[in-house]
Amino acid sequence: MSSALISLSNLGFAWPGQAQLLDIPSFTLQRGESLFLKGPSGSGKTTLLGLLGGVQTPNRGSIRLLDQELSALSASARDRFRVDHTGYIFQQFNLLPFLSVRENVELPCHFSRLRASRAIQRHGSIDQAAATLLAHLGLKEPTLLERRADELSIGQQQRVAAARALIGQPELVIADEPTSALDFDAREAFLQLLFAECREAGASLLFVSHDQSLARLFDRSLSLAELNRAATPTEV
Amino acid sequence: MYLLRLALASLGNRRFTALLTVFAIALSVCLLLAVERVRTEARASFANTISGTDLIVGARSGSVNLLLYSVFRIGNATNNIRWDSFERFADHRQVKWAIPISLGDSHRGYRVMGTSPAYFEHFRYARSQPLQIGQGRAFADDPFEVVLGAEVAKALDYRLGEELVLAHGVATISLVKHDDKPFSVVGILERTGTPVDRTLHISLAGMEALHVDWQNGMPARGAGVVSAEQARSLDLQPKQITAFLLGLNSKIATFSLQRELNEFRGEPLLAILPGVALQELWSLMGTAEKALFVVSLFVVLTGLIGMLTAILTSLNERRREMAILRSVGARPWHIASLLILEAFALALAGVLLGLLLLYLGIVGAQGHVQANYGLYLPLDLPTAYEWALLGAILSAALLMGCVPAWRAYRQSLADGLSIRL
Repeated sequence: MSSALISLSNLGFAWPGQAQLLDIPSFTLQRGESLFLKGPSGSGKTTLLGLLGGVQTPNRGSIRLLDQELSALSASARDRFRVDHTGYIFQQFNLLPFLSVRENVELPCHFSRLRASRAIQRHGSIDQAAATLLAHLGLKEPTLLERRADELSIGQQQRVAAARALIGQPELVIADEPTSALDFDAREAFLQLLFAECREAGASLLFVSHDQSLARLFDRSLSLAELNRAATPTEV
Repeated sequence: MYLLRLALASLGNRRFTALLTVFAIALSVCLLLAVERVRTEARASFANTISGTDLIVGARSGSVNLLLYSVFRIGNATNNIRWDSFERFADHRQVKWAIPISLGDSHRGYRVMGTSPAYFEHFRYARSQPLQIGQGRAFADDPFEVVLGAEVAKALDYRLGEELVLAHGVATISLVKHDDKPFSVVGILERTGTPVDRTLHISLAGMEALHVDWQNGMPARGAGVVSAEQARSLDLQPKQITAFLLGLNSKIATFSLQRELNEFRGEPLLAILPGVALQELWSLMGTAEKALFVVSLFVVLTGLIGMLTAILTSLNERRREMAILRSVGARPWHIASLLILEAFALALAGVLLGLLLLYLGIVGAQGHVQANYGLYLPLDLPTAYEWALLGAILSAALLMGCVPAWRAYRQSLADGLSIRL
């Protein structure tokens, strides 16, 4: 097994009837590494995440996640592979408002047997795993677990989303602008908690944002425009 | 199971629309079942009205008309028939029993029927059930005795021994009353669920006594008046009756006797087979009944389309929900199943609430419907046919759920994990 978690080579993608959006000769993310990927909106960032998640397939080239060639899998196998090995945190409104905080955190365990069994192995039960993760992320209050997710503040909601991404120890956590709705101090605090939890779980973190000021906190920082040969000069 | 939990939680989040949808389905289901019950019950009670009678004979008119006045106490005879015609056929060698019927009077809206004791002995309804006298006895020799149908006794609260006055004619409000000759209640029949319940039975002699002093359709005055006491001593043999029922020794003779009656030279008679005439009458009403059923089916369809609209409208605002589910590992078919489950849950809740409404409605309206329309609505569990109808509604809902499911499936494939704000 190689030390690379993600490796892209010679990747090309274009939406049907549109110009080439992504042309990435090579890119790797190491296991346990935290990477800041800078990309303004419209730079193909969302598409890249879609490719990594196996929701879209590239026109050419290869995407390997945990040494598995994604395009070799069927669509439903890709879906399963994604949830087994990847946790997601999005910008805002990440949670299902009609479920409790606990149920939101436990969602991936209902769709991935692997993550459910890892959560049980490590914490004894899925409920315990959710409670522990939330406590580590600063949501210690026991009553909070059973509250509806939309009763929480945005900062709290993002921490719940982080707990959900981390439950069952996926190898990769992908965060897409998770801090853009938070104020500056909260951003850094949130990131520190996220780093700590990723380290503990041994997960790699791929963090996508346009906010360059956060880059210094990561192991490595890259710009999508540098990576992507198809990027138009104005975006560089 | 977990998908069901998610579907219900999501529905709970939209509970106002969901409740409205459920209520619309419930009302339509309730209507369909109510129509179905009334329909079945009407048909059954209709077919149960008369049994064991081989021929009904009256003055020549239409067969449906004859059936209506002789059995259902609806409408009037156009003509009477002579007593000697009745006697002639009552003594016919093929005839086992004959029941004379004389109509024309009423009591507070209920019809009065003059007949002979043979009526209590030979008349059958439903599956060859004889009439049962619940209290008292049949009328005997005294002409001024009356036997009440169950509903007459109950609605007007009559007991044995009470006296009542009959009215001339069959209008609910009658101006001419036979108040000089009161009748006393000697018997009350058990409930039959047929027009018998709404009839007052007197002897032919009683019927004759009421009209013995009448001339040209008007009561006598002054010296012409015959008192009840005087009437008792008169010869009260009727000269005319309205119709009669015949039971034959052998069913095989039915058609030949029918022809004999219809070709009778003494006076124009009409003999009908009750079963055939009932069929004819029901085919008249059957159209309305079928129309009602079809209308209520369409109401159910409308309810389901309402549900479809509600789910489809919600799809767009739930793109985020779908994308979140996709990001935590739900596959497109999970998303599709969620929507089908949602449709099914709404329809199931609608059906259950509809059943509840139906039973509440039956409990509430049972007495009223029975008293006014003679229809007994049973509080039974749904019949196999009703279960089948409910099953068909649920299947239709499942089928309709496929439409939003398919759209959500496509949508979630296109949207992937990204939530476009």
